[in-house]
Amino acid sequence: MATINASVTISSDISSNPISISKTMSMTKSANPAVGLEETTGLRTKKFTATTAAVIVEHDELTDDKAHKVYIRNASTNRANFFYVAYNASAAAAATAETIGKLYGGDWMLMPYDGNVNITVASSTASETQYLEYMVFADGIVAAKG
Amino acid sequence: MATTATISISSPDLMPGSSLSIAANTTLTKAGVTADLTQMETGVISLVSGTEYRLGPLATEMADDAHDIASYLYICNTTTEDATYYIDWGINETMIGRLYAGDWMFIPWNASDDAAEIEIEPQGGTNTIEYAFFNSDFILPTAAA
Repeated sequence: MATINASVTISSDISSNPISISKTMSMTKSANPAVGLEETTGLRTKKFTATTAAVIVEHDELTDDKAHKVYIRNASTNRANFFYVAYNASAAAAATAETIGKLYGGDWMLMPYDGNVNITVASSTASETQYLEYMVFADGIVAAKG
Repeated sequence: MATTATISISSPDLMPGSSLSIAANTTLTKAGVTADLTQMETGVISLVSGTEYRLGPLATEMADDAHDIASYLYICNTTTEDATYYIDWGINETMIGRLYAGDWMFIPWNASDDAAEIEIEPQGGTNTIEYAFFNSDFILPTAAA
């Protein structure tokens, strides 16, 4: 098994009592929280020059109903642009019910993922190139069929 | 009034021969601009299993068009029980993943309508979560007359 640690720190002075959230988790298997995840699709960087929706995580490569984790980061810097991120077979746009949110330039997200439906994205702009970084920490990868 | 979110992911042995070290930081701002977020809500809640709960406001509880509002949600399942304890989380009646004991998540969220609410459903028994919600435009429900 592998050891994978993920830490988050969120600091905010919105309130007159500033908050600082700090938490670390070890990514472990659903069947046994003492055993670390040991598979990954690898870290990927993808360039987007169009607004066409694209699948970045194909669910049929992963075992269903497991403790996968998905990390996604908009590696661009322009806060005016974003990626729609959706839990959906084929679409990722404003009208898609399963759109999770908009990942603006510089934003990142880490979410647990059951591996039952694709993760899709769509860039908000075709006039400016955007880059997306993403990685799946898998609780079971299904070998590609020949 | 700045709100920042930093992540680091590391592993010495996930990919043999290539230690993993991811680090990223972002300043959370209003949608499409560099103005800081101005509203937040935090809490700690114990949730009984077998019921689906809504976390965060409905789209109609946010000013203007909720889908154009930048919102961010942090949830941590602070339960220390075994693997039978977890929280299903999802949007729009569609479960997306399981937050096991000790796990945390951080996502952007843009509600297209009230149906696109954040839903959480504890499993296995009582799960306790810590959460924080950041945006600039949620409004309080009107009090009954």
